[in-house]
Amino acid sequence: MRALGIISFEDNTANIEGLCDHRPVPAIAVMGRYRIVDFILSNMTNSGINNVQVYCKEKPRNLIEHLGDGSHYNINSKRGKLRILYGEKSFSSDVYNHDVANYMLNMQYIEEDSNPYVVVAPSYFVYPIDFNDVLKQHVESRADVTVLYTNAKEAKTQFLGCDVLKLDKFKTVTGFEKNRGKLKSQTISLEAYVMTKKLFIELVTKAAETSSLYWFKDVLADSVGELNMKGYQVKGYVACFNSLPEYYRISMELIDHKRALGLFKPGWPIYTQTNDSCPTIFSESAKVSNSVVANGAIIDGTVEGSIISRGCTIRKGAEVKNSILLPGAYIGENAKLDHVVVDKYAIVHHIKKLEGTNESPVYVQRRDRI
Amino acid sequence: MRANSMVAMILAGGRGSRLYDLTKKVAKPAVHFGGKYRIVDFPLSNCANSDIKTVGVLTQYESVLLNSYVARDHYWGLDTNDGGVYVLTPRERDTTNLEVYRGTADAITANIDFLDSIDPEYVLILSGDHIYKMNYAKMLAYHKEMNADATIAVREVSLKEATRFGIMNTNKDDMIVEFEEKPAHPKSNLASMGIYIFTYKTLRKYLVADAKDPDSHHDFGKDIIPSFLNDKKRLVAYRFRGYWKDVGTVDSLWEANMDLLKENAELDLGDPTWKIYTEDVNSLPQFIGKEAKIEHCYVTQGSVIEGTAKNSVIGTNVVIGKGAKVIDSVIQPGAVIGENAVVTRCIVADDVVVPAGAVCGSAKSAEIELVADNEGE
Repeated sequence: MRALGIISFEDNTANIEGLCDHRPVPAIAVMGRYRIVDFILSNMTNSGINNVQVYCKEKPRNLIEHLGDGSHYNINSKRGKLRILYGEKSFSSDVYNHDVANYMLNMQYIEEDSNPYVVVAPSYFVYPIDFNDVLKQHVESRADVTVLYTNAKEAKTQFLGCDVLKLDKFKTVTGFEKNRGKLKSQTISLEAYVMTKKLFIELVTKAAETSSLYWFKDVLADSVGELNMKGYQVKGYVACFNSLPEYYRISMELIDHKRALGLFKPGWPIYTQTNDSCPTIFSESAKVSNSVVANGAIIDGTVEGSIISRGCTIRKGAEVKNSILLPGAYIGENAKLDHVVVDKYAIVHHIKKLEGTNESPVYVQRRDRI
Repeated sequence: MRANSMVAMILAGGRGSRLYDLTKKVAKPAVHFGGKYRIVDFPLSNCANSDIKTVGVLTQYESVLLNSYVARDHYWGLDTNDGGVYVLTPRERDTTNLEVYRGTADAITANIDFLDSIDPEYVLILSGDHIYKMNYAKMLAYHKEMNADATIAVREVSLKEATRFGIMNTNKDDMIVEFEEKPAHPKSNLASMGIYIFTYKTLRKYLVADAKDPDSHHDFGKDIIPSFLNDKKRLVAYRFRGYWKDVGTVDSLWEANMDLLKENAELDLGDPTWKIYTEDVNSLPQFIGKEAKIEHCYVTQGSVIEGTAKNSVIGTNVVIGKGAKVIDSVIQPGAVIGENAVVTRCIVADDVVVPAGAVCGSAKSAEIELVADNEGE
C-alpha cells in the first residue's frame, strides 16, 4: 500500500486516570498481553503499510521499549521502517505540545518519505480495519480527505469528548462537533484520515501558521467546505479507550470470546512484543471462569470475570472478581478484589478487601504495595 | 573468551519412530512440548543462555519444517553478527554424491568443512530430543580444568534404570575408564546424557579416521568414545544434577509434560534467568468460559476453554468445547476437543479434531493413548 502510516496521539480529552500517570495511552497494557498501540499498528502493517511513524506526546521510554524496531509488527527491516517520533525540544507549556507541533518538528521525515498518501490514525480507538479499502474509496470518491467514523449506539456514555461528524446524504463532511453525551446515537469521528501526503503537509503547515495552539483536527474543521471531505464508515467493533471507566468497561466486554472476535479477526493478527513467558499454571486450588488469562501467570486462587495479564500471581484463597490485573501484579493469600484495576507489579498483600464499581473501579498504582 | 571458541552441533536428524504419528510429518526435535515449545527449543535456548554464538543443526528426516524453524535464529537471540544457527543437511559435493548421514559421528564428519570454517577450539555435541536446562559454559570450564580431550555429561540413575542407558564406568577422579551400552549388569550408575564436549583438534583426527573405517557404525557411543578409550585419551564424566528427560516415546513425552505440573517442578520453565525461547505465534490470550473448570493444568495462550481440564497440559490455540472433559492428558497445539468429548490419559496430536461426544483413552489404561489424525492427509 502506497501510504505512510502516521500514528497520532490523542488530545487531553483522553485520560485513563491513574494508568496515564506512568505511560502514554498507546503504551497502556490491555487484554493481558497487548498494548493499546498494537491494534492500530497491526492494522497498518496488515494493510501493507511498511513505513510507520508513531508520534509520542511524552514519556516515550515505555513505547520505545515496546515497539523496538518494529520487526515484531511484521515491518520489513530493509524496505520498511518504524520511527518513534516526539518533540526533541521541550515545550514551554503543555498546551503547545500537540500533534501539529510534533509533525512540524519532524517534518523532514514526513517530506522525505516517498509514499504519495498518508494514513493518519491515533491508537486509542481500537477496531479492525483494512486501510486498502479506505484508500480505494478515497481514490474512487475523489475526496481530498477521507475521515473514518463509526455509528455509535451508546454515545451518551461512550466516546465522550470525541469528535462528531456531520455528514450529508452523500457522506460529505459538513461539520465537526463534540460528543457531549446528549444523544444516544452519534456519528463519531475516529480521528483517522486518508489524504495525499502533499495535502497533509499543507494542512499541517496551515495549522501551524493559523495558531500555535491548533491541533490537526482544528485545521480540518476550518477546512470544511473548502476541501472535499468524505466519511468512511467502519462497520463492526469499535471502542475508544479515553477514560478509566471506559478502559474498564471495554476490557470487561472483551472477556466474552465471541465479542473479542469482533476485534481479533481471524487472518488479521494483532502483533505485540513477545515476553517468552512460560504457560500459565492453574494449581489444584485454582477456580477460574469467564476470564482472559495471559501466559506466565500462577493461579492458586479464584478468578471470575477478570483479565489476568502476563506474569501475575494469585495466591490461595485470593478472590479476583470483575478486575483487571496488569502484568506482574501479585495478589496475596485471601485478598479479595472486586472491580479493581491493579497496575503493573503492584502487590496487594496486606489488605483484605478492595471493592469498586463499574463507574469507578478502584485503581492500584504501579509498583504499589498495599 | 573468543566469540566462537566453542561451537554447538545439535543432532536433529532422527525420526523418533517410537513417537509414531507425532513424527509422521515432522522430525522429533520439532514435536511440541509443554504446550508452546518444540523439543529443539531446549538445546537451542540452553546454547543461547550459555553464551554460545554458533550452532549447527544437523537435520535429515522430514526436515522442511525443522529447517525453516531453526533457521529463524532470532527466536533464541542467536542472530548475532558473529554467530547464528546453521542448518546442516546432507549435501551433494564436488567429489561425492548425495549421501545421507550414516550415524551421529558421520553427521559431524560430513560437516568438518563447516567446523573448519568456524575454527573452534571446542565442539559441543547435543541431541535434539532431550528436555533439560543446562549451562554448557560450566561444562566447558570443567573440560578445561580437567584438561580433557572429551567430557561427557552424565547423570546418576538407579541401577535398574542403568540397563536402559549408555553407562560410564569411572575411576575415583571421575575419569571414564569404560563405556557400556545398556549393560545387563551395570557397574556404575552414571548414565550418558548424549552431551559431549570435544577438543576439536583431537575430535577431528578421530572423525577422519572413523570415516575410513569400513567396520564403523560412525556413531559417537559405539565408535568414537571407544576409540578415545582405547587410545587412553582423557575422558571425563561431568555430573549433571537437575531435570533431564529423553522424550523418545509417547509415554515419556507424556510423563515429561506431566512433570511440569508437579509442585516445585524440577523443570521450572518460569525461571527468568534461564528462559526457554520459542516461536511467537501471535495467539490471543486464553479465553476461559463461564462454565469452565481448570484444575492443576499448564495452559498456554490462544486456548479457548469452555469445558473441564484437569491434570493436563493444554497447548497453543487448543479449543475445549462445552461439557468436554480433558483429564491427565497432553493436548498439542491446534487440537480441538469437541463438546462433551472425554479425553483421559491421552496425547492428542497437533490440529486433531476430537469429535463431539467422543471418548478417548481411559483412566485404567497402563499406556498413554496417542490420538492422531489417521487420514494421512
